[in-house]
Amino acid sequence: MTETQAPSALLPLPYRPRRLPWEQAGIYALGVVVALLIGGVAITLVGGDVRSAYATVLRVSLGSVVGVGQTLNKVTPLLLATLAVVLSFSGGFFNIGVDGQIYLGAIFATGAAFAFGALGLPRVVLIPAVLLAGIAGGALYAFIPAVLRAVFAVNEIFVTVMLNFVALFLTEYLATGPWNDPLAGEAITRPIPGGATLPMLIPRAGTHAGILIALGAVVVVAWLLARTVLGYQIRAVGDNPRAARIGGVPITVITLFALTASGALAGLAGAVEVSGFHYRLILGLTPGYGIMAILIAVLARQHPVGAAVAAFFFAVLLVGSDSLQRSVGLPASAVFVFQAVIVLTVLLAEALRKR
Amino acid sequence: MIPIVGMRGIVKRFGDVVALDGVDLALQRGEIHALLGENGAGKTTLMNVLSGLYRADAGTITVEGEPVEVRAPRDALRRGIGMVHQHFELVPQFTVLENVILGREGAVWLRRNRARAAVQQLAAQYGITLDLDARVRTLSVGVQQKVEVLKALYRGVRVLILDEPTTMLTPQEVDALFSTVSWFTSQGLTVVFITHKIREALRISSRITVMRRGRVVTTCSRATVTEQQLVQLMIGEMSPAVPARDGRLRGDQPVLVVRDLAVTDDRGSRAVSGCSFEVFPGELVGLAGVAGNGQKELGEALIGVRAASAGSIVLDGRDVGRTSVRRRLVQGLAVIPEDRLREGILPGMSLTETLVLGPHHFMFPRGRYDARRAEAACREAIAQFQIVAPDAKVPSAHLSGGNIQKALAARAFLLSSVAGSKLLLAMHPTRGLDVRATEFLHGRLRDFVRAGGAVLLISEDLDELMTLSDRLLVLYRGTAAATFERAKFDPYQIGAAMTGVGTAGSA
Repeated sequence: MTETQAPSALLPLPYRPRRLPWEQAGIYALGVVVALLIGGVAITLVGGDVRSAYATVLRVSLGSVVGVGQTLNKVTPLLLATLAVVLSFSGGFFNIGVDGQIYLGAIFATGAAFAFGALGLPRVVLIPAVLLAGIAGGALYAFIPAVLRAVFAVNEIFVTVMLNFVALFLTEYLATGPWNDPLAGEAITRPIPGGATLPMLIPRAGTHAGILIALGAVVVVAWLLARTVLGYQIRAVGDNPRAARIGGVPITVITLFALTASGALAGLAGAVEVSGFHYRLILGLTPGYGIMAILIAVLARQHPVGAAVAAFFFAVLLVGSDSLQRSVGLPASAVFVFQAVIVLTVLLAEALRKR
Repeated sequence: MIPIVGMRGIVKRFGDVVALDGVDLALQRGEIHALLGENGAGKTTLMNVLSGLYRADAGTITVEGEPVEVRAPRDALRRGIGMVHQHFELVPQFTVLENVILGREGAVWLRRNRARAAVQQLAAQYGITLDLDARVRTLSVGVQQKVEVLKALYRGVRVLILDEPTTMLTPQEVDALFSTVSWFTSQGLTVVFITHKIREALRISSRITVMRRGRVVTTCSRATVTEQQLVQLMIGEMSPAVPARDGRLRGDQPVLVVRDLAVTDDRGSRAVSGCSFEVFPGELVGLAGVAGNGQKELGEALIGVRAASAGSIVLDGRDVGRTSVRRRLVQGLAVIPEDRLREGILPGMSLTETLVLGPHHFMFPRGRYDARRAEAACREAIAQFQIVAPDAKVPSAHLSGGNIQKALAARAFLLSSVAGSKLLLAMHPTRGLDVRATEFLHGRLRDFVRAGGAVLLISEDLDELMTLSDRLLVLYRGTAAATFERAKFDPYQIGAAMTGVGTAGSA
């Protein structure tokens, strides 16, 4: 019998003291302000105008129908990835392999689109088949660390991180090898059949229906965690595995479920990206959504609804930051610094407030 | 003769609990002084005060007749007082030498060679043989203890306090320790030897101080006392005869049958072996024993969180020895766990969510967590057990220790009411409870028995065990060494069985 170790012994999960709502809002506002200040310094250093730079970010991401549409397209994978992290964190499991599971979901979805598309299935069958294939891909991929953790007590952090690389190289192989689009000359596959693509929600803005899937997943995860015995048991294991065990919670089953379901959500994100946005498998499908998702999950204190709000905010930053590259010359990756500063400030403020 | 250390009127309180109640102690130079008492008598607390880990609320300490202020371990060390704790404080990856000189390396440079010479000389002087270059993690417990002792000597300790030093040692290691310690005194060292084992105190010490409930009962020379006298001194005055009780409650078919159970502890050594006993419906069986005699491992094996290596556990007619915890809950087991913080509560979740952990298998059969039903149960528990909590949604970690303990007791009764539990395993259920809460819980336990349930009560408090139990089992070195029927309860005989003195008292 393997003794489960409290993951909080490895990494500090955010402690959740009772705090007044306005107090919490103030802490979040502080995080944003500090990030804006530090971002402003960076923009000034590269010779840009702070005010116009920030105005550009907002205008590009929220100032037009197209902008909002593109932001929503970014929310979709971010939010699904965040839900994956929320689910595993709730059980005390650190799924750092969301990016890898996204790739596996995308691979399965692409494969399903090719295979079933060739059969000439109607769209109403094809789209669900593609999405389910993505879910299965992510779930199967997460099942590896789940079994290793549940049965052999192998730390899931190392396994999931390693599997990210495996997934990346598998994608590269498929995108440059068997499924390569010879016309593109890049590491991308042939496009999937038109019948396998998600319908448009706002055609004018290029917004696909993935956002509805993501919002649906918010409801499902929130319901699972708060209203089901399964979700209660997941949270109990995450909070105190020893107490949960004495309370008769089947730790092995919970471990398998929480990590696998987390992978399923990530796989769904991959499928939605393929079916809704890229219409093919590409290398670079996820620019680190899985890592950003960890930040968002921490910021949202593992609450699914909070995750939706925080994911939207991060998506605004992501879309807007592309424009900063063009207008100010700040590298697009500066957005990661910005995001990290917000999270660090919020965590720091919470830690200080706790005293 | 001026004692090397004098403690007078030492008082130490933890919240409402008085751990030390005006304790006097004098240590003479070059003696081995045994500090003898049951768990919770205050032995370790007293020495923690002397070594600066705790600050006394009242009282004075003198070293060689001079009053001293001991605010921190540093102050004690400066006066030559050092303690080797039960749990070692060594860096496993470091070598013996590095551990010994840790904290005294000098400002910048690690003058390894100079330190090595000094440590070698010290080890030779005190007759300690050690490989200074061995990594500590590769050493056995007995050798690690030597490292701790050498570390203390390197810091210039003249009064060496050893806290239950033999607990983790093999008999051979104990012999070696005793001969080393005897040699120390010839070098002018004074040794305080904290123990609850009477025979060890008699074997090694020159004087013995017996403590009970935060007070010194007596200090005597080894030559003048006997084993039996020490048992009496440790256990205390004969309690008024326990009231007789109607034995007709007891059922015929045992609800729990444990046969030849063997369980290993975390370090892989046998904590429980050849343990057999039965518990019948309508009786409360107390499990007495000095801590560390296998109670914890036995409890964990009964719950199902520690695998039994041999033997069987039959609960209500079904062998559950290899089944999951949940299966045992279904079969009729309810538990008040031993360690309320580490095994009991869900600290980040609400009091309600802590309260239904276990009962949830039975309260929500259709898989839907019904928050309203859970909160109603929690409010009822708060009212019944007088748990001090603002509401049912308060994070469990916000409750005080005593209130957490009440919540865990409430949970066991909630489980028994929704699952129809037949056996309640209560591990130290009144630890940290005040008098009123203790009485209330005792009443609930008796009610449970009167209604035909069975209780297995593990406790360190012999008074509690004698007041409540219909039958008492004594666990000594992992076996049920003796059984006492209520009519034949005798604290001296029970105490003797607990401390392994003779084989007195089998009913």
